[in-house]
Amino acid sequence: MGVALKVRGLQASVGSVKILNGIDLDVPFGEMHALMGPNGSGKSTLCHVLCGHPDFTAEGEAWVDGREVLGLEADERARLGLVQAFQSPVAVPGVDLAELMREAAEERGIDPEEADRRIAEASRRFDMAPFLERSINDDLSGGEKKRSEIFQISVLSPKAALLDETDSGLDIDMVRKVASAVEEMRGPGMGVLMITHHSRILSYVEPDRVHVMMGGRIVTSGGPGLAQELERDGYEGLRKRLGIKTPSAAAPARPSSDFFTDLPFEV
Amino acid sequence: MLSLNSDTLERLNAAVPASVASRRREALREYGRLDMPSPKEENWKYVTLGFDLDAMTIPAAPGDTLPEGDFLSALSHRAGSAVMVDGRLTGIENHSEAWLGSAAEAWGAYPPSDLLTPDTDKFAAAALAFSSDGISLRIPRNRAVEAPFVIDVQSTLPDTVTFPSLDIRAEENSEATVVVLLRSPDEVASVMVPNLQTTVGSGARLSVTTVGIMGNEGVTIMHHRSRIGRDATFRAGEIGLGGRLARIDLRTTLEGAGGSVEVVGLYFGEMEQVLDYRLVVNHVGRSTSSDVFLKGAVEDQAQSVFTGLLRIEEGAVGTSAFETNRNLVLSDGAKANSVPNLEILCNDIICGHGSSVGPLETEPMYYLMSRGLSRQRAERVLVRGFFEEAIGRLPVDDLDEPARQAVNRRFAEAQEGGRV
Repeated sequence: MGVALKVRGLQASVGSVKILNGIDLDVPFGEMHALMGPNGSGKSTLCHVLCGHPDFTAEGEAWVDGREVLGLEADERARLGLVQAFQSPVAVPGVDLAELMREAAEERGIDPEEADRRIAEASRRFDMAPFLERSINDDLSGGEKKRSEIFQISVLSPKAALLDETDSGLDIDMVRKVASAVEEMRGPGMGVLMITHHSRILSYVEPDRVHVMMGGRIVTSGGPGLAQELERDGYEGLRKRLGIKTPSAAAPARPSSDFFTDLPFEV
Repeated sequence: MLSLNSDTLERLNAAVPASVASRRREALREYGRLDMPSPKEENWKYVTLGFDLDAMTIPAAPGDTLPEGDFLSALSHRAGSAVMVDGRLTGIENHSEAWLGSAAEAWGAYPPSDLLTPDTDKFAAAALAFSSDGISLRIPRNRAVEAPFVIDVQSTLPDTVTFPSLDIRAEENSEATVVVLLRSPDEVASVMVPNLQTTVGSGARLSVTTVGIMGNEGVTIMHHRSRIGRDATFRAGEIGLGGRLARIDLRTTLEGAGGSVEVVGLYFGEMEQVLDYRLVVNHVGRSTSSDVFLKGAVEDQAQSVFTGLLRIEEGAVGTSAFETNRNLVLSDGAKANSVPNLEILCNDIICGHGSSVGPLETEPMYYLMSRGLSRQRAERVLVRGFFEEAIGRLPVDDLDEPARQAVNRRFAEAQEGGRV
């Protein structure tokens, strides 16, 4: 089976701050990989750099189903099949969710009836009916935003899905739904990279691989047992095992302003 | 063709009551005394008129009526309508209990409103002196008229100036909806100076929405004065799309306790257009409330101006006053000026204002593009979304769709032409 997402030597910075220090990663089709790591280790940045956020400069290589994506505009990457569920998605007042999905489908040349069918199906699964005609992420709770994100992944069914902490802020029923959706999506047409802080979701959906990021690098990878080790020993324990020094508090692990949380949208 | 002089005035005065005639003469004196406004004056800053009123003439007879157009055809369900062409009332239709007719006819029953004073500026003086005709709408007390009244004001003849007077009164506990369209064909350089006066009686609920869709050479200099009684509700809607220069000088006075006013709407300027909004909301009565909410965009070399003053008089305790003006600047050559202002002369009030001017935001752009929308499509979706909030607040639902179509089409055309 081919590789949904392949990354080699990926480095990235915002301004003069270097955040990713050389990432290598392979997520084959049909697999789900978990990406774990302490706050500030660069997990969200990896998603944004892969998806083409304009604030980052990136070096290295990344392929989605064999197509090079670095250097492409964000929309081209999405249409090649790389879509992320945002950790803190921005509000877009005046644009409703169904409208966004229809526009996204139209851009991909998907028949409007087929688009509506997918929207209806995903909406049933994630109880999104009340949100379809509402502005995107506007006046939504944290959990509702996560539902909206996984709903969009489900509608867009990308080749490589990046789920950035989609399981946090959800109640247990919704975590189960997300897990079962990931399980269903983990077919021959999709590879999933799931960033998570909690091993909770991993008890509902077993990852094929677990990667741990620290200081902008993947420091170790392993089977599902690695998540259990982290649950037991914490990142401190893992550092000890791998002989990694605890970063000092002053180290600029991420840009000073965390612009991916609670972005203001004022126009 | 009639020049703006005393001969014309006396000709117009021949058929009006003495009280009206003397007010006209007073307005003519003001007209002679006042200079043409200049951009050096704060209230006319950013505005280049490009014509001299003294050199213009009033048409002696109306030209041909304009074809209907998108906005009018969307207003199929009406309580009544009136058409003014080149300053003359050419058609009236009324299916309601309200009184709708020519201003001249109305003067027989009651004097015209005097909310606009001739010392306001030269245009106000001219409007009060030389208005050849107007429309009067009166909603009797305790009557509610559901469907909108449509007042279609047209200017069809080049190099002319017209002074349509629109006098709207909602009596005690009445309810009505009014739409005023200001129109002219493209390539016709005409100036329209409407004098819109609205009086909202105690407990009445009135909305007046103005739709500015003049052609590319047309100019409108509108004065809109309103007076709001006790526990009355007034909503002023605005859709500003047309004209080389379109100015609205709106002053609303919340006189009675518990009255409220809402000024909501949108504007979108393209090419060399200047869209000029000067708003004053004056809180006089206790526990009055106001909410100004205007969203606008400019592209090409267009310019918009918003100055909004919330004035809270001594004694207007318990006032709540809010003002929001958001602007999208879609081309490098376009400019939006936004100046909200507060003048508070009393304590115990709630007041707030917000204003912004800028391009489309990058984070929402990235978000939409990350779903696979091309940059151009994402821009269109964001512009549409930007206006949607204002469209949702327009007082007349029938106007939502033509307003939506007009702004979306305007931006899409600019995209296709590589202008944004």
